[in-house]
Amino acid sequence: MSDRRRPGGGSWPAPEGSALARLWRNRVVRSVFRVGWPRTRQDRLRAMLASLVLHLHPTRVRAHVLRPSTTLGLGLVSFYLFLVLTVSGLALMLYYVPHPDAAYRSMKDLEYAVTFGMFLRNAHRWAAHGMVAVVFLHLCRVFFTGAYKPPREFNWVVGVLLLLLTLALSFTGYLLPWDQLAFWAITVGTAIVAYFPVLGPQVRYLLLGGHEIGQAALLRFYVLHCLILPLAMACLVSLHFWRVRKDGGLGAPPGRLHRRVLAWPHLVFRELLVLLLVLVVVHACALLFDAPLEGIADATRTPNPAKAPWYFLGLQELVHYGAILGGVVVPFAIVLALLALPYLDRHPRGVGVWFAPERRLANSVFAALALAVVAVTVVGTFFRGANWAWVWPW
Amino acid sequence: MAAGTSGLVAGALGLVGALARSVVPDVLYEPPRRFPVGRPADFPPGSVTFVSERRLFVFNTPTGFYVVSAVCTHLGCNVNHEPGRGFACPCHGSAFEEDGRVRKGPAAWPLPRFAVVLTRRGELVVDTRRTVGPDFRLRA
Repeated sequence: MSDRRRPGGGSWPAPEGSALARLWRNRVVRSVFRVGWPRTRQDRLRAMLASLVLHLHPTRVRAHVLRPSTTLGLGLVSFYLFLVLTVSGLALMLYYVPHPDAAYRSMKDLEYAVTFGMFLRNAHRWAAHGMVAVVFLHLCRVFFTGAYKPPREFNWVVGVLLLLLTLALSFTGYLLPWDQLAFWAITVGTAIVAYFPVLGPQVRYLLLGGHEIGQAALLRFYVLHCLILPLAMACLVSLHFWRVRKDGGLGAPPGRLHRRVLAWPHLVFRELLVLLLVLVVVHACALLFDAPLEGIADATRTPNPAKAPWYFLGLQELVHYGAILGGVVVPFAIVLALLALPYLDRHPRGVGVWFAPERRLANSVFAALALAVVAVTVVGTFFRGANWAWVWPW
Repeated sequence: MAAGTSGLVAGALGLVGALARSVVPDVLYEPPRRFPVGRPADFPPGSVTFVSERRLFVFNTPTGFYVVSAVCTHLGCNVNHEPGRGFACPCHGSAFEEDGRVRKGPAAWPLPRFAVVLTRRGELVVDTRRTVGPDFRLRA
């Protein structure tokens, strides 16, 4: 597919109207978009190569890619949520001051003194929670469709790193409101870090910029949350997308003949539709549910129970049984197993179909582990009350 | 040639090392770790006082003063003192004896005891960088 043709040609409408309108359409619009609205098959192929955003896609895709059941669009939804978080986060940064004397007041200002400030915060919070959940589901989807097998081993590793980055972003953001919820969640969370053997206490010292959660810790979490981790995320997401293309697109069962369809309009418009759905759902959640804000952080009063962010409550539940077990052994084992998985599972079959019969053992083991993660998280979230004693949520 | 390349690599690594070292803080703008908690007379005989802003308990027993950390060794919540029954952590249910030993997990280590001295100006000064054994008492 060559793109030697100069912009312009059949796809541009014949010039008409006033001189100014012609100048606008013929010179300015063409200079920006390079090709006109694609109407012919040739232009639709060309459009995919002529634009920075669209050229991430191939010009034609296998028809099965377009079926919602193939991927459930989970990777795409994660990416859109990241975009929502970037934009809403930038807006929040205009009001947020990362200092213990001012951070909590910024939250109150967003709630009472900024038009749509609360809405902005709600959107950011629910999109963040949603992203953690969707990235986890995306991981499950890739496993159950065997999509980490050669040549996609490395992209699975990048995906695992993206999951860890998502958790790190969510965790660093959790401290920023500087309320009781934030302070004690991070107290518990960073105490878990200190259990890591050899370097645990040093990593905690580096993370907090000292021995306790104070001004230095807040500033460090802020810089990590707003700059370092999002930049790392953007780099790895780019690598992730690029490898999807280079590794041959979405996994598909070998040997079957695949009908190909044009990416424009079939893929592009479906992706736009998913974007609209994500925006509508985030909008609805932000309208319906307010992000929590408790009293200002107070190191002298521990709430009872003090809970980590919900996606770490599974860990906290395990930490309740034993700090080394929950804080070190289990998380390390899970991450190592995930990273090593594509290199250990050499079985070449069962790619591109859900729950392939050849992969019954692998799928069963993974499903059991994923359910265990969900189960301890649910227990830690809903079934634990004061003194971490068992309570019924109803 | 090799020496030149090595020099360049060493210079470049030096930059990375300096950057990495710079993020480890040397000066902490934190509350001091050695601080006065009051005069002996502020703590009635036989009392246990929670000094909330320092997160520790001051015991005044017939044999002398001692100071027990209020920070749970499990995950850093403040423990509550229950007279005669020791300490209970509200976060994950750890319980400690009156002398700081673990009665019930998940905490694995006892609540540390901090060194306390009586200064010439008659103030009790606690040093949280120095822990002491269970027999430590300060006669004041």
